[in-house]
Amino acid sequence: MGSSKDVKNVFSAVIVLLLTLAIWELSTYVVKIPRYVLPPPSSVIEATARYSNYLLENLLNTLAHAVAGLALAAVFSLLLSLLLAYSEVVREVVSPLVAGFNAIPRAALVPLLALWFGLGSLPRVLTSFLIAFYPILIPTLTAMVTVEKELWEMLVSFGASKKQILVKVAIPRSMPYFLSSLHMGLASALVGTVIAEMIASDRGLGYVILSSTSRLDTPLAFSCLTLLAFTAFSLSKILGVVEKRAVRWAYRVST
Amino acid sequence: MESLVRLKNVTVRYRSNGRRYLTAVSNVDLGVSPGEFVAVVGRSGCGKTTLLKVVAGLIKPDEGEVAYSERFFNGSKKKIGVMFQSPLLLPWRNVLENILLPIEIIGEDPANYVERALILMERTGLRGFEYSYPWELSGGMQQRVALCRALIHRPQLLLLDEPFSSLDAITREEMWVLLESVFLYENYTTLLVTHDIREAVLLSDRVVVMSGKPGRVKTEVEIPFKRPRNISLQYSKEFNEYVAKIKSMLSE
Repeated sequence: MGSSKDVKNVFSAVIVLLLTLAIWELSTYVVKIPRYVLPPPSSVIEATARYSNYLLENLLNTLAHAVAGLALAAVFSLLLSLLLAYSEVVREVVSPLVAGFNAIPRAALVPLLALWFGLGSLPRVLTSFLIAFYPILIPTLTAMVTVEKELWEMLVSFGASKKQILVKVAIPRSMPYFLSSLHMGLASALVGTVIAEMIASDRGLGYVILSSTSRLDTPLAFSCLTLLAFTAFSLSKILGVVEKRAVRWAYRVST
Repeated sequence: MESLVRLKNVTVRYRSNGRRYLTAVSNVDLGVSPGEFVAVVGRSGCGKTTLLKVVAGLIKPDEGEVAYSERFFNGSKKKIGVMFQSPLLLPWRNVLENILLPIEIIGEDPANYVERALILMERTGLRGFEYSYPWELSGGMQQRVALCRALIHRPQLLLLDEPFSSLDAITREEMWVLLESVFLYENYTTLLVTHDIREAVLLSDRVVVMSGKPGRVKTEVEIPFKRPRNISLQYSKEFNEYVAKIKSMLSE
């Protein structure tokens, strides 16, 4: 961590990014692409500065809903995988239902959610939850139900019950998978929130993107995209730190 | 003497390919007396591990029965210690926590067993590694942890399934010495399953020779050497006569 190699890597990544932006900036002038089709980076920065308060307010709004959806998805997935890991019968009945539900394009549910719950927070949190739970559930459940046969037999020989095996082995062994699936869940939760905002909301970055493009204010839409990418990236990094600390053993890091 | 555990006419079949049955062990009679060290030897696939699983209660025999002595198991809960070929340690627990796992399973307070764990660790040369994690230890050390874990709850019966076969020759001999000393200290009734004839002769009071396909008990050989046994016993003429005799029975 923090070695000179890391510093070098970050440095070269920044150089590549700046170069890309420079080429982009120049080409919009050289080729004369209209600003409402592809805005030069300078205009995106300008729009970000001009609307900074408005953008911050909407970013925080989007973030709050995505995090709420993710938290809900995490808790739900953990509880459901426990139940499914405990009972094979329930697993066989419920698994196809969950997989079938996952096959529904969740964006298509937003109008219904808006019909039932209005234009407030609930449809956004729910959409984010509905998209985010599956990528968390599957790895967690798989880790719980794939306890090695030999280990299982050893525990049973010692007199362990199914519940004890679940608590002492299945849950701890699933934690690295659960935590790493939160990265995927986070990305999905943001997608869910933004989609819901575009369909049925009057705030949040999804709404800002929709309203700005309808006014042909493309720089502002790009500004929203950049903010979303940056937020998702930062949150994922924070998650990574938490993950490495919480399940040190999975990375075989000696203390 | 009354057996601690006795297999009576035990037959176990496995279903293979959905419908055909494969007889793993057939009509096995085997008793283990309290305090006795019994070794079961046989080639790979002769059903010796199946036999051990029957004793552990992991497999129900299709025919015959397993009788546990009420007197020695004090009626209530029978305590069994097991050790397999791989150490099966939990990577999120340190050595001490791994050793105390069976205590948590039988529902007692691990705090009351820390002292015993430390004594076992002392005897097995693990002192100082209490807070190490399994992946920080060598294969031999991991098996020592597995041995301590198998003994922590003072089981009435110790079941060993080829516990040293994944270790190198030198480490394996060290483990033999260790097991012999632990056996003398605590005098467990032990059932060892192995394909290593030298291991069986060195450690056990009685060697049960199995033939394969289906697994049957071919014969039993009493090993009369006095304890404590020393590793140099394996260079004696008598020892090698026993090894040769059992080997010839296996290859018949």
